[in-house]
Amino acid sequence: MNTQRIFSDYEVVIGLEVHVHLDTEAKLFTSCPVSYGAEPNTRVSEVCLALPGTLPVISERAVDRAVRAALVTQCKVHPISVFARKHYFYPDLPKGYQISQFEEPLATGGYIEISDPEDASRHLRIGLTRIHIEEDAGKSIHDPALAGSEVTLIDLNRAGVPLIEIVSEPDLRSPEEAVTYLRTLHRILRYVDVSNVDMEKGQFRCDANISLRPHGEVRFGTRTELKNLNSFRSVQSALHAEIIRQAELLEDGGEVVQATMGYDADRDRVFVMRLKENADDYRYFPDPDLIPLRLSPARIDEIRNSLPELPSGRRDRFCNLFGLSTYDAEVITSSRPLADFFEDVLAIGGETADFAKTVSNWIQRDVLGALRDRDLDIETSSLTPEALVNLLRMVEVRRVTVKSARDLICELVVSGGNPEDLVEQRGLEAVSDASILDTVIQEVLSENPDAISSYRSGEEKSLNFLMGQVMRKTKGKAEASAVRTFLIEKLKVGPT
Amino acid sequence: MRDDPGNRPPTAMELQNMLAEGQTTSVQLVEDALSRAKASEDLGIFVSLREDSAIKEAQASDRVRSEKKARSRLEGIPVAIKDNIAIAGEPLSCGSKILDGYSSPFSSTAVERLRAFGAIPIGATNMDEFAMGSSTEHSIHGSTLNPWQKDRVPGGSSGGSAAAVAAGVVPIALGSDTGGSIRQPASFCGVVGMKPTYGRISRWGLVAFASSLDQIGPIAHTAEDCALVLDCIGGSDSRDSTCLPSGSTDCYGVLNAGLENLVIGLPKEYFQSTGVDAAVLEKVYAAVKHLEESGAELREISLPHTEYAVSTYYLVATAEASSNLARYDGARYGKRSDAARSLVGMYEGSRSEGFGEEVKRRILLGTYVLSAGYYDAYYRKAQKVRTLLRRDFEEAFLECDVIATPTCPEVAFPLGSKLDPLAMYLSDVFTVSANLVGVPGVSLPCGFKEGLPIGLQLLGQAGDDAMPLRIAHEYQKATNFHCAVPPGMAP
Repeated sequence: MNTQRIFSDYEVVIGLEVHVHLDTEAKLFTSCPVSYGAEPNTRVSEVCLALPGTLPVISERAVDRAVRAALVTQCKVHPISVFARKHYFYPDLPKGYQISQFEEPLATGGYIEISDPEDASRHLRIGLTRIHIEEDAGKSIHDPALAGSEVTLIDLNRAGVPLIEIVSEPDLRSPEEAVTYLRTLHRILRYVDVSNVDMEKGQFRCDANISLRPHGEVRFGTRTELKNLNSFRSVQSALHAEIIRQAELLEDGGEVVQATMGYDADRDRVFVMRLKENADDYRYFPDPDLIPLRLSPARIDEIRNSLPELPSGRRDRFCNLFGLSTYDAEVITSSRPLADFFEDVLAIGGETADFAKTVSNWIQRDVLGALRDRDLDIETSSLTPEALVNLLRMVEVRRVTVKSARDLICELVVSGGNPEDLVEQRGLEAVSDASILDTVIQEVLSENPDAISSYRSGEEKSLNFLMGQVMRKTKGKAEASAVRTFLIEKLKVGPT
Repeated sequence: MRDDPGNRPPTAMELQNMLAEGQTTSVQLVEDALSRAKASEDLGIFVSLREDSAIKEAQASDRVRSEKKARSRLEGIPVAIKDNIAIAGEPLSCGSKILDGYSSPFSSTAVERLRAFGAIPIGATNMDEFAMGSSTEHSIHGSTLNPWQKDRVPGGSSGGSAAAVAAGVVPIALGSDTGGSIRQPASFCGVVGMKPTYGRISRWGLVAFASSLDQIGPIAHTAEDCALVLDCIGGSDSRDSTCLPSGSTDCYGVLNAGLENLVIGLPKEYFQSTGVDAAVLEKVYAAVKHLEESGAELREISLPHTEYAVSTYYLVATAEASSNLARYDGARYGKRSDAARSLVGMYEGSRSEGFGEEVKRRILLGTYVLSAGYYDAYYRKAQKVRTLLRRDFEEAFLECDVIATPTCPEVAFPLGSKLDPLAMYLSDVFTVSANLVGVPGVSLPCGFKEGLPIGLQLLGQAGDDAMPLRIAHEYQKATNFHCAVPPGMAP
């Protein structure tokens, strides 16, 4: 079945549950440090191991991060929330239960706005059902190469790492919307320091609930849950695969059975992990070792006041204040350090619309590319706002050519430095002096008689070729408009 | 009558005076305690002794005393610790096979504080497995016998700690009380036992049975010694979120405030309940009469929801226990079944072989109570009744300062006589309410029936641990029931 037909026959309904590791030094209920990639079972305390007689004590920093997440997603933060025990036996769950929140979560009823993947100028509001705090489990390693096929290894370094689970309403209507939602959420959470959201480290993980129903039907279809989708790409492909599977079932007159599904990325196939009919009974009850989490209005306000401006607000401000296009503002605000850099450049170089536009262009066209090529980001690069302002001023007064400036940016992002000094050391001053250019142009023209004749017979392209030759001989230092003017004059004058 | 302590072994206070006056040393006291522990091995009191380390600590204590000064009134005093309260580096078995071979790498806050104040733990005392029981018969280490009559149980679950004090091995022991596990054995063994206000003593290092009910508490010959211990180990602890903030924990300082203007409430539901031994009722009445004669006023009060307390207790306690004991899975420590060939096999084998019958029964009950479809009918309803019980006590304390009741409906029963678990559960009728509502309770000896001790229970308001101790102290100043010595125990 092709997907286009599926979408014309069915409405796809998707809700996402996202698990996010909170950016904290310590675990959720003990001061034991969180670290990624440490030797197995070296970041464990008596609490992580669930030794007899141990008790959990909530990390205030983790609560702060979780409240931040709730506030930036417009959720209502509850003055009282309750930790509950969720029971199941598994060797990487040391207590035999996970401390989570169940009946009374931290926050409920928020939303985030995403741009419609079909029309970027439109925004969709995706509802959030709830955000709750919980602890992560350890890792079970079933790797025959490491342990032999008979053995499972347990690493409890991750056990007790603080998480929030963000549950969306079933408001998403396509895999593309789902991915856009995830990307937006991912960006927001990093923006306000809730999490480092490194997907490779499992800091941002997604489960998806998905069902199909005929257009116009009010009731939801039977849903399945896709587990452990750990990259944007796998979310998209797994959802596509599951949509096709469900649609084919329905088309054949069959029924979707409630199930937990896995996704095999190598074969691009979804598979049933377990059916929900023997649904687990987690025997939730309020954890008697923990008192209810109380958050005073004053504390919530304090956390609210510590929040940085959100990307969407900043984007709108850049549009209104500097006349940037929505697209440009979106790119500039895609990460907080980049938006900070942009604002710092304007603060030094002048907060005018013209300059803002110039800076935005240079950042998008040159700086981001230079960073990407060297696997850097604006925070890890050596390019300072002062240096960029300095360089752009030299371009403006034509002391250096655009070409030279671009080359310099590549150098500045890696090793930094003062552009003025660099220009001087490298002799990159732009050449627009007629006497110097005249010599070079004469040379080029005498070497390329064919180009001259073709230009004269109307081939405009030949002019570009000749300009290129001049630029090459001056190593890019020649000021392009000057070269062009001189060349045209020479070519008019007559045969050389 | 206090003038004649009879042959009663000395209290911690008395030992402290002897130490201060140089009549003995801590090393001497610890050596004596260890040799008494060994001499009374037939009672099955201790499950492990810290012979070398206790003596080393006693030497250090004697040095501290001679070089500086005693750190507290507990300096150099030997104490016994129930086997569910962790001592770093020592075995911690909770009377269970499933913790076979397990030693705790850390100490409980209570033990840490006792040691910081100079007390010396000499060993771990026997208990019902995971503190589930009222007779100390359900232990992998065997039964503990009642020092008063060796065919009788010492009560439980802190039977080892109560017997250790009654038999004169140590002046002070720590127990834990989830539904009466300190007060009932104290009653059966003729010693004073106290369950403090919930949250008074940190639970860090106490192996959890039912987290919302568990409290560590002291067992001693006198209310005075209990006050010393409580003042030393009570107070806030950053490792236990349910611990109360430190505050008025000075119980010792107010012990002699007298009985003038105090009202003692007698709940009619307790005194009129059926199945209370007549001799027990008679002695408890006599005790409260004595308090009246000493200046207190008696007033009948009502705790109308009392009849639901035992059922409520067994719903809450088993639910929490089923969860708290989930960690014993054979994966990380303790017993792992040798027969296991799969993950589920490891769980089933380790837990089937590791837990005793009573523990299994309660895990099953608790699992049922928390199951989907039953939660509202059982667990949630139990929490509601708990609120009603709490309200009962709040209203009662508008009329009185302390509530007096029998600790138990009967005296120590014969070993092996309560095979029906329900009969065992029902014997907790007078003690469980204090745990459900979190108030402090003291049991103290107030008479005998055919040579077996009877306990008077005094319940105070939540947070006011001093009040029941203060009344117990007045009573003990005027009576000598706590000075009696089990037959054959004379030093």
